[in-house]
Amino acid sequence: MIKKLALIVLAVGFSIPVLSGSSHAADTIKIGFNAPLTGFAASDGKSASEGAKLAVEQVNAAGGINGKLLELVIYDDQAKPAQAIPIANKLIGQDKVVIGVSGSYSGPTRSAAGVFQEAGIPYIAAYAIHPDITRAGNYVFRTSFLGQIQGRGGAKLVGDILEKKNVVIITLQNDFGKSLAAGFKSKAADFGIKIINEYEYSIKDRQFGSIVAKVKADNPDAIYASGYYFTAGPLVSQLRAAGVTVPIIGQEGYDSQKFIEIAGPASEGIIITTSLDRDSDVPETRNFIDAFEKRAGFKVDMVAASAHTAIMVAADALKRAGSTDPEALRKAIAATNLKASTGTISFNALGEVMKSVQNQVVKDGNWHRHSVIDDPALLAPPDK
Amino acid sequence: MLHLELLIQGLIYGSMYAVIAVGLTLVYGLLRILHVAHAGLFALGAYLGLLITNATGSLVLGMLSSAALVGVGGMLIYRLCYQPILNRPPHVALIASIGLFIAMEEIFRLIFGPYGLTYQNPPLQSQIALGEIHLRAAELGMVIAAVVLLGILSYLSQSTRIGIAWRATVDDSDMAKSFGIDTIKVRYLNFFIGSGLAAVAGIFISLLSNLVEPTMGGVPAYKALAIIVLGGLGNVKGTLIASLLLGVVEAFGTIYIGSILDRDAIAFAFLIVVLMIRPQGLFAGR
Amino acid sequence: MGIYEISLATVVGINIILALGLNMISGFCGQISLGHAAFYGVGAYTCALLAKSGTPFAAAIGAGMLAAGIVGLVVGLASLRVRHDFLAITTMGGGFLFLGIVRQQEILGGELGISGIPSSGFGKIGYLVMVLALAALTTVFSLWIKRSWMGFAFDAVADDEDTARVMTVDVSAYKLAAFAMGTAMAGVAGGLYTYFARFLMPDDFGFITSITVLSMVAVGGIGSVFGVIVATVILTLMPEFFRFISDYKLLVYGALLFAVMRFAPEGLAGLAGRVFARTKRKARLEDEAT
Repeated sequence: MIKKLALIVLAVGFSIPVLSGSSHAADTIKIGFNAPLTGFAASDGKSASEGAKLAVEQVNAAGGINGKLLELVIYDDQAKPAQAIPIANKLIGQDKVVIGVSGSYSGPTRSAAGVFQEAGIPYIAAYAIHPDITRAGNYVFRTSFLGQIQGRGGAKLVGDILEKKNVVIITLQNDFGKSLAAGFKSKAADFGIKIINEYEYSIKDRQFGSIVAKVKADNPDAIYASGYYFTAGPLVSQLRAAGVTVPIIGQEGYDSQKFIEIAGPASEGIIITTSLDRDSDVPETRNFIDAFEKRAGFKVDMVAASAHTAIMVAADALKRAGSTDPEALRKAIAATNLKASTGTISFNALGEVMKSVQNQVVKDGNWHRHSVIDDPALLAPPDK
Repeated sequence: MLHLELLIQGLIYGSMYAVIAVGLTLVYGLLRILHVAHAGLFALGAYLGLLITNATGSLVLGMLSSAALVGVGGMLIYRLCYQPILNRPPHVALIASIGLFIAMEEIFRLIFGPYGLTYQNPPLQSQIALGEIHLRAAELGMVIAAVVLLGILSYLSQSTRIGIAWRATVDDSDMAKSFGIDTIKVRYLNFFIGSGLAAVAGIFISLLSNLVEPTMGGVPAYKALAIIVLGGLGNVKGTLIASLLLGVVEAFGTIYIGSILDRDAIAFAFLIVVLMIRPQGLFAGR
Repeated sequence: MGIYEISLATVVGINIILALGLNMISGFCGQISLGHAAFYGVGAYTCALLAKSGTPFAAAIGAGMLAAGIVGLVVGLASLRVRHDFLAITTMGGGFLFLGIVRQQEILGGELGISGIPSSGFGKIGYLVMVLALAALTTVFSLWIKRSWMGFAFDAVADDEDTARVMTVDVSAYKLAAFAMGTAMAGVAGGLYTYFARFLMPDDFGFITSITVLSMVAVGGIGSVFGVIVATVILTLMPEFFRFISDYKLLVYGALLFAVMRFAPEGLAGLAGRVFARTKRKARLEDEAT
């Protein structure tokens, strides 16, 4: 009996410090940020938070928002949807953030979006691709491409720009890979592409010997492969090592210097659809790239750029709204027309971004501009 | 032709699995513990191998020193983690091992960063032609290493005093002790060899992908468990055959039923099917 | 209580039900399950599909419970053929298989999961109260099972299956019962999670979740209802507690698991027991001395 009482006291004693939060003095404007700082997605979490921190520093260095400084409140969601919900509630309820930004994957973003929508606080997804994120409601926005849209861009890149017709698709088995493949397939026929075969792999795979052997036997004109730098790097290097010389087209998941490091010489000539143009002479992009390298100490990647853009959109909306009233902020975000590192950001009725696709290619060990896809009809996101 | 290539790929996967899983089955055979932290040693081996190879330019030095260091690491884990809890119910060692593994992964991330490390000059990348089949040197190296190392292990256990001592200890630890066998030494040797093998596997695998990441032990952590069950817990030969079989099943499965099940599901479906038919695994006992 | 505290408490409540379910299987009956999250998932997905097609709250949760219980029966039947360490790995495999199948079924949302699950209609506080009520119910149920004849039989099986069999305890029947009840509880937890998150993705129900739940049971003390509840509270709240050293929280978690198993293998329940046995003994000695 006493034993049980002791256990109960222990539990209660533990809960009290946790549940009695802290609130800080408020002469800052708080922006909430959730990212996977630990767990399997820790690399993207790190990039995202570095990009976000840089954005906040830059805004504050330029005088803040109408005199007040921005404060970034970052929490680790381990890329788990179940963790993201209490985090979202904490940001809104305890930290009293005026805008939330997601630097995390689709699962946690979608869960958190529901919470933000219900509380009537604006939420901006930096790079998560799940279509239902913005469908959570009119307070949710996304500054990056939907998987499907980027996939369509890929189809145009392969069929129209590169004029390759017989394609093998290698798909990462998660929401990112599947929606990219779906988008690609939906427009493949329009660009004269015939899909010979499709293979799938798990996010944990690093050895692709059997897929490589089969693709070699298929003998396509081009390969459309989705993945992140830690899967695409090995995949591309193994394809090339097996003697597969045809163009390999990827997406923003590759967009990192680590991809080039891993694949080494095999990365030369790989083309991806993304939003960051390394050769850009747009000042917003140029400044961001240089400032990021200086601050973080490593080369910029797509995730960092996306997070940076999302924070900049939030800051810009705060400036224009002139207040932190949620409804006013929401309207301000919806009316965004901002040049950011990843393109000119403006939203449609659903909160999806409309911008062009930057195609980048690896040349001499670095990402460079390949081409641009500016096709509003093709790249139009859904509006409900 | 394609099927031959897939078969060979399967055998390559299989040799990777074999070298990792053997260490695990050695530990189980001796102590009846599911040594999940073995996968942490696998990753540690890859990290040390890469760092030493990058620093000295010699893969051989990297591999040998990493295997030795990780071997010692394994012995330490036995002494500090398992020895005190040997008489506890099995879940205790399992959870302790899982906790240790999680901690190791995090230490790798905190020290070496989340992005992973790459080789400055990836060794063993040249193409080797065996008739119509082209393999990378690292792939061939993996298979050769598996055959040689496991062959040596098998010879040692059959024909040397220490090997016989080991087998006796696995069979009946108390009886072995009464015959004057130093069972503690046998255990340390067991962990040293098993962990050293894990390190070698880790290095070869990192050569094939040119990436060493904090979470690289994740898949081996559970897949090796499936393999040793498949092979018959504690049975080294069984583990080898199970590894090769699983490698081949995965190689063909990911191509032909990859759209229905992912790689892990294929592996475990295979395991469950086998266990339903032969509940003791492919080869029971030793 | 702010929305943050409410959401945390709701998660704790759901985790308690989930952990007590595993405690029934692993604790009362000595069957180590490394795939508990799969039953959590069965309950969640069943409930989600029904909820989206208009089924009322109670019926949807009930269906989740039933579905998980039935799948549990099937898995329990498998457990009859294998033992101990094999079982741990077979259940682990079952978990991966379940996930592998779910990921590829468009009806279950595939990789994109299921979103747009309707609200429970209770409001945040109301829902919390309901979850806690169910957690309390589950606790009472677990305690009752533990103390009743069934509990005695479970203990016998956990201790030594062969002896239990000799004593004409129908081992198979009790094993199956343990599995079915424990998995049904996981199904309830799954349904509650569905209405809480209103969005499901396959990754919520993977191996890592299974391990997390198992660690709650192990740290609490396998078999101890109150120990498991306390451990669940602590381990669920721990990430929140460690926000200021958030970069190290997973490391602390791993180290904690290791430390508890290494130094207090009987879990918190065992620790509490030892501490109080010692103080009782000390008090008695002091009494005798005077």
